[in-house]
Amino acid sequence: MAVVGANGSGKSTFVKTLLGLQSPMNGRIEWPMGKPAEIGYLAQLTEFDRRFPIRVRDLAAMGAWQGFNPFAGLNKTTRNRVCAALEMAGILDLADQPLHTLSGGQLQRALFSRVIMQDAPLILLDEPFSAVDQYTEQHLLSIIETWRSEERAVIIVLHDLSAVLDHCTHALLLGNGRASFGTVDDILTPDRLVAQGYMSSSQASWMFRGQTNGGRADV
Amino acid sequence: MFDLISEMSNYAFMRRAFVVTTILSASVAPVGAFLVLRRLSLAGEAMAHAITPGVVIGFVTAGLSVMSLLFGGLIAGLGVAVLTAYLARNTILRSDASLASLYLIALAIGIFILSAAGSAVPLKSFLFGSILGVDDASMILVSGVATVTLMTFALILRPLIMSTCDPVFFESQVKRPWIVDQGFMFLLVLNLLAAFKTLGTLMAVGLMILPATAARYWSGTITAQLGLGFIFSLLSCWLGLTLSYILPETPSGPAIVLVAGAIFVLSALFGPLGLRGQFSATTKS
Repeated sequence: MAVVGANGSGKSTFVKTLLGLQSPMNGRIEWPMGKPAEIGYLAQLTEFDRRFPIRVRDLAAMGAWQGFNPFAGLNKTTRNRVCAALEMAGILDLADQPLHTLSGGQLQRALFSRVIMQDAPLILLDEPFSAVDQYTEQHLLSIIETWRSEERAVIIVLHDLSAVLDHCTHALLLGNGRASFGTVDDILTPDRLVAQGYMSSSQASWMFRGQTNGGRADV
Repeated sequence: MFDLISEMSNYAFMRRAFVVTTILSASVAPVGAFLVLRRLSLAGEAMAHAITPGVVIGFVTAGLSVMSLLFGGLIAGLGVAVLTAYLARNTILRSDASLASLYLIALAIGIFILSAAGSAVPLKSFLFGSILGVDDASMILVSGVATVTLMTFALILRPLIMSTCDPVFFESQVKRPWIVDQGFMFLLVLNLLAAFKTLGTLMAVGLMILPATAARYWSGTITAQLGLGFIFSLLSCWLGLTLSYILPETPSGPAIVLVAGAIFVLSALFGPLGLRGQFSATTKS
């Protein structure tokens, strides 16, 4: 599911409320299937201290924090899982590098491998592609596709509508004090996007110029 | 050199001083490392001032005993820490501004009471400590604090690393993240009190911060930083004590911190993450 909306419309607030980092202003959160024991989470990159002295390998291992024994090193299974997660993110060769040597894209891959290590049924990603190049974005999207094929629920805050249309089934559109939720095709229509302040009507008509009736945007 | 060592070891107060600072180094080094990594380097200095009223009130009401020092200091220090967190969470002031306001109030109260009570404790030993007159009680205090500190670190090291490296992620994963934050503040106050008696309020933080920042210039991993920080603070204590022994008029606190400062300057100049290292060349962000 994608969360879409203009800056300040409450996308990150929505994600943080789901996580329990903020309490809802009113109402409450219900988990019909029970709250997942663990929620995979990736915050916006701006909130991360890149100078912290730790290796890529150890950052990834943090995802498995629940299995840590305070008085022992990581066991062999965990260490192997770390290597597999780094391999999947395409940065196994950087495993022993300290964080400050990484580029923005490499750091985002390292943080993805931490989410992989969490092995959670519900995964929340807050603008995961804001600082990465196209090549990295494609790679990370393929990881998200893998999660979907493993029947994990992925909630992702995105600005790139074409990625939403290509990779997401449902969308939550926030803006102008309203929220609309439904399938991507129902929600991401020019009328709604304009009405909820995501784009101007001229932008919408340009973006959806090739659209056939009820079909997908040709972008 | 061996003559010097055997000469110093003839004096009981020098033997005590060496033992106490060795234990103190093991205890304050990890606290200092995390102070630096959590961007609380200046907050550590502020907390050192914040414990003043507790120490003074304890001293005025119960005399210069280790217990009054410990309890008064703990109440004042943790009071300021908790109030700071409360103000930062519920008002517009961020935690640095809240802490600055509260520690200044605390320091003023402390000095005010100390003067009003016509105290006999010399201000100089209050500010710079009295490492050459360490008694049994303060040796027990330092050893006790070191034991509690190292055992707590063994228990919370990984959560502490997580919450320091990526606090947003840590809060999203743990039900009560404040336990680690406040637990660390508790260790900070405890170690300030242990260092207070031997190094004084002005110098206590020096032995925490300088070895940790110096170690940061050499280490790419937190394990290396913790180990190196301990070695640096140990070196500072031993060389500093020797220095103040050779030059009898120099107080030990500033001598120790000066040696730590020299290590810091050398590290900044020659460390791989220092001025001439790869960090300044590649990642200026």
